[in-house]
Amino acid sequence: MQITGQKIEEHRIHDKPFYLVQKNELVIAEAAYKNGIPLLLKGPTGSGKSRFMQFLAWKLQRPLITVSCHDDLSTSDLVGRYLIRGGETFWVDGPMTLAVRHGAICYLDEVVEARKDTTVVIHPLADDRRELAIEKRGELLAAPPEFMLAVSYNPGYQSVLKDMKQSTRQRFVALELGYPNADLETEIVAHESAIDEKLARLLVRIAAMTRGLKDSGLQEGASTRLLVHAGLLIKDGIEPREACQVTITQALTDDREMLNAIDEMVSSVL
Amino acid sequence: MKNGLTERLRQVIPVDRLNDWERDEIFDHLADYEPLVEKTVIEQLGILWPISSPLCFDFLGHLTKGLTCLSIEQLPDWVKGILDIYEAHGLRAAREYMDDVEAHYLCTIRGKKGLSLDEIIPRLLPYLRGLSGQSLEIQKAPSLYTDTRSVFLPREIIAPARSNDNFYLYKLLVSFLWAEIELDIYCQQQTAPEVLEDFFLSFEDQELAASCYHLLQTVRRAEFLKSYLPGLMRDGQPLFRLLLKDVDLSDSSAGPGNELATVRQWLLCCCADDPLPDLSDETAAILHQASAEKISYEDIFGATTRFYARVRLTGDFKLPAPLFFQGKLRPAEARMARLSRREEQKQQFIKALAAVIPHLSGAPETETEQTEKIQIPSINESESGAILSPMGQDGKNEQSTEEKQNDPRYICLDDGQIKVPKELRHLAREIENDLGKVPSFYIASASRMAGGRGKTPATSIQEEEGKALQGGLLYDEWDFRRRGFRKNWCMLIEKRIIATKGTFVTTTMEKYRGQILQLKRQFEMMRSQQRLVRRQQDGDDIDLDALTEAYADLRAGLVPSEDLFVRRQRDERDIAALFLVDMSSSTEGWVGTALKESLVLLSEALQSLGDRYAIYGFSGMRRSQSELFHVKTFTEPYSEEIRGRIGAISPMDYTRMGPPIRHCTKVLRDIDARVRLLLILTDGKPEDYDDYKGEYAIEDTRHALTEAKAGGIHSFCISIDKEAQDYLGYLFGDINYTFINDVKKLPLRVPEIYRTLTS
Repeated sequence: MQITGQKIEEHRIHDKPFYLVQKNELVIAEAAYKNGIPLLLKGPTGSGKSRFMQFLAWKLQRPLITVSCHDDLSTSDLVGRYLIRGGETFWVDGPMTLAVRHGAICYLDEVVEARKDTTVVIHPLADDRRELAIEKRGELLAAPPEFMLAVSYNPGYQSVLKDMKQSTRQRFVALELGYPNADLETEIVAHESAIDEKLARLLVRIAAMTRGLKDSGLQEGASTRLLVHAGLLIKDGIEPREACQVTITQALTDDREMLNAIDEMVSSVL
Repeated sequence: MKNGLTERLRQVIPVDRLNDWERDEIFDHLADYEPLVEKTVIEQLGILWPISSPLCFDFLGHLTKGLTCLSIEQLPDWVKGILDIYEAHGLRAAREYMDDVEAHYLCTIRGKKGLSLDEIIPRLLPYLRGLSGQSLEIQKAPSLYTDTRSVFLPREIIAPARSNDNFYLYKLLVSFLWAEIELDIYCQQQTAPEVLEDFFLSFEDQELAASCYHLLQTVRRAEFLKSYLPGLMRDGQPLFRLLLKDVDLSDSSAGPGNELATVRQWLLCCCADDPLPDLSDETAAILHQASAEKISYEDIFGATTRFYARVRLTGDFKLPAPLFFQGKLRPAEARMARLSRREEQKQQFIKALAAVIPHLSGAPETETEQTEKIQIPSINESESGAILSPMGQDGKNEQSTEEKQNDPRYICLDDGQIKVPKELRHLAREIENDLGKVPSFYIASASRMAGGRGKTPATSIQEEEGKALQGGLLYDEWDFRRRGFRKNWCMLIEKRIIATKGTFVTTTMEKYRGQILQLKRQFEMMRSQQRLVRRQQDGDDIDLDALTEAYADLRAGLVPSEDLFVRRQRDERDIAALFLVDMSSSTEGWVGTALKESLVLLSEALQSLGDRYAIYGFSGMRRSQSELFHVKTFTEPYSEEIRGRIGAISPMDYTRMGPPIRHCTKVLRDIDARVRLLLILTDGKPEDYDDYKGEYAIEDTRHALTEAKAGGIHSFCISIDKEAQDYLGYLFGDINYTFINDVKKLPLRVPEIYRTLTS
C-alpha cells in the first residue's frame, strides 16, 4: 500500500528566501546545527522568526517541516498514526517522524500554544540521545546528523499558563530575534512590499513610534510584518493613511484613545 | 458722549471713587468703540472689577489687541480664561495670557467651537510619547513652551468649526515643541547648564538675540518636521497659508528691510510650500547655515550672531510677536528641568547601583568578559570610583552589537572592576550625556549605601532580642550578607479586619457600573470556554480518529484502546489566586482608594468566573510586628461582610514584604490547584522601620519569592509607580510584573491583568 502522507520533497526550499541577517543569528544557528543542538527562537510576533527558519533551511539545503502548534495538538499528530484503507492498516508518519527519517529541519512554531504533555515527546530528540520513540510501532528512530529541531515562541505573553517547562527550554540554544534596526527594517519593508525606500522609511518610523507606546498601554508595537502589509496595500493603490489604518492601527488595539493616537502618528508621518 | 459713558460705567464700577487719572485711563480706552462693543466691554468690566481692579486696567490695556483677534462674541470667553489664569497663577500670568491672545485664539481663524485640552489629552499624550519615545508630560499653562520634561499647552484653542482641525492644531503645536527637544535647542547635550543663557547675555539687546535665535531654530524645526513628519506639515499647508496672509497684512507697516519679518514670511512660505520670497544674500546664507542637517552649537550661535547684526543694521523696527506655533523660548525653565532631572537620575543611579554592587563584585568573571575588558585609565587615584565607557567606535567590540553601542559597561570601584548591568547602563548613558561623565561621588555614595548597610547593625533590633516572642507565627528572614536565614526572625501576626458599614463599595459599584457589567461578561466568557475532550470512555459523540486508530490497531494485531468518545467539557479552570495588598502608609489617599476599588471590581468579576481567590493585606512595623490582615480567605464566600472588609482597608505602617509572602506561600501550598498564583499589589519597594531597607529588603523579598516559586507558585506584581523600577525586574523576573503609572486606570487594569495572566 502506498503511504499517503506528506512527501518530503514538498518541503524543500528551492528559491532563496529574502532574509537580511540582523546580527549573529545565522552564525549561531549554523554552529548549533553542526553540533546537533536544537534551536529556540524567541521574539515578538512578526519579527521574522519563521522567515529566518526558511532561510536557514535553504542555506543548509535541508527540507523544512513546520508545525503550527495549538492546544489540541496530540502526540500522534506529531509522531504519526495508523490509518485504515480497504480493510488494511497502514502507518502514516507525522511531521516530526518525517523530519527525523529524512534528516529535515522540524520547526514547531509557537510551541507554548501546545499542551505541555505534548511537547514532552521532543525531549529525547532534543538532547544528546537524538532519538524519537514511536511507541505504536515499537520503533526507536535515531536522528541522522542532518536532522535539526527548532521551536519558537513569543516571550511577550504574560499568561502563567503559557510558559515553557524548564526541562523543555533548557535543551535549546536560544536566539532572540527582536525587530531589526531602522535601516535594515526599511530595506526589508521596501523589498517585501516592493515600495520605494522613502515610503518604507516612513512606515518604519511609524512602527518605531508605536513601539515606544509599550509603557502607555499598548501591548506590542507594530511588527515588521504589519509594515509589509501596509506597503503592499499602498502599492496596490490604497491611500497610504487608509492603508496604515487598516493594517497597523486597527490591528494593534481596540482601545479608542490609543486608536486615535496611533492614527495621529500615521497622519503625521504620511 | 462722555457723560453717557460715565453713567453706563457707574452701573458696574464705582467711577466716583476713582481718581482723575484712573478715570481718564478708562475713558481713553473706551472712547472709540461702537455701542454694541462698548456694552459688552462694560459688562466684562463689571465681572473683572470686583475681583481685581489692577487686572481690570490690564484688561483695558490689552483690549485693542484682543479685539483685533477676537470677535465680540468671544470676549466673554476670553475674560473667563483670564480669570481662570488669574485665580490659578496670579496677575503676572494673567498678563501673559492676555499678551498671548494670538496663541490662544488664532487671529485669522475664527470659529465657535473650541477644543479644550482636557478633552484631547488622552489622545495627545500617547501621540507625544510615541513621537519622542520618552515619558514626557503635557501640562496646562497660559503660554506655549516646553522645559524638555513637559510640554506646556494653552488651555483652549479656538479654531475652525470642525473639531478635527482643532485637534490638528494641538498636534502641530506638540510636534513643534517636541522638535525643540529633539533638536536640543536648549543645548542640553552641552555639559554647562547655562550655555544658552550666557550666550544671550553677550548681546546688547538680549531680547532681540533670543528672538533671532528662536526664529532660526524654528526654521530648523520646520525643515526637520518637513522631512521627519511630512504628513503633518502637508496637512498644515492651508493653515500656514492663512497665517501667511495675516502676516502679509500686519507686517506691511514694518516696511521692507525688516529682516525678522522677512524671515518669518519665508518660514511660513516654506511651511506652506508656497514659492519662497526673495532673501538678501546674507540672510539666505544665514538660513542656510542654520538649517544644515548636521549642525553644531557653534554654527547656530554663529548664525544667530550674524542674523542679530543684520537685524540691527536695518535700524528702526518693532519686535514682532512670535508666530503662534513657535511657542516661547524659556531657557531658565529648561535649565531648572534639567537640574531636577539630574537630581532624580542621581538618586535613581545611586539606589540602583547600590543594589547591585555586592552581587557584581561577588560574581566571578567569565572568560568572555575578560576578553572584552578595557584598559583602565588611571583615573581613580584620588577618586573612589569611576565609570568607563568602552572604546566601541573603533570596532573592537563587535561581538556586542546588540547592545547600545557605547553605553558604559564597567565601573571601577576601589581596586576591583564591576560589570554594569544593562538597565543601569542606559541610565549611566543619560547621565553622561548630561554631565559629560558619571561623577565619581555618585558611585562613591552608592558604594557607601551598599557597604554601610552591611556594617551598621540596627540597634533597635538588638534591644528587642531579649524579649520573648510570643503568639503569632515565626518566619525566617533571608540575610544576603551571610547567605543564610536568620532563624525565626520575624513574627507575623494575623489579624482580621473589622468590616465597616461605609458607602465605599456601593459608591464604587455605582461608579463603575458599566465597566463591572462588561468585566463580568468578559470573565464569564473565560469560564464558558468549552473544549472537546477526545478519547474518553463515554461522551456525546464518537471520536472518529480514536475509532480509526483502534480499528487499525486491531487489524495490526495490537490491543485497541477503549477510549473512543468525544466529550464536550467545560475547561476546568483549576486556579487559586491570592491577592496580597500593600497597606503601608504610602498608599494613603488616591493610591489606597484605587487599590480598594480594584479589589471590588476584581471580586465582582471573579464571582462570575468562579476561580478560587483570597485577599490579604499586609503592613507592620519592625520584625516583631509584621501584620497580615485577612480580607477574604479562600474558603469564605464573597459576601456583604467581605465587601465591608474591603471598604475597611486603610493605610497602616511599613512594607516588610518577606514574612507576608512566606505566609501566603504556605497558604497557597495547602490549596490543591493546578495553577497557584500570588498577585502582589504594591506602590513601592519593600521597606521597614528598622534595617529592612534597600538591598537587604530586596534580597529578602527576592528570596521569599524564590521560595514561592520552588513551591510551584507563580508570583506576579502590579506596581503603582511613576516609572518602572529596575528592582521589579530583579525581584519578579522581566515579564512577571507590570507597573501602572496612572492611578485612575488601576481599578480596570487589575482585572484585565488577571484575565491575561490566566487565559
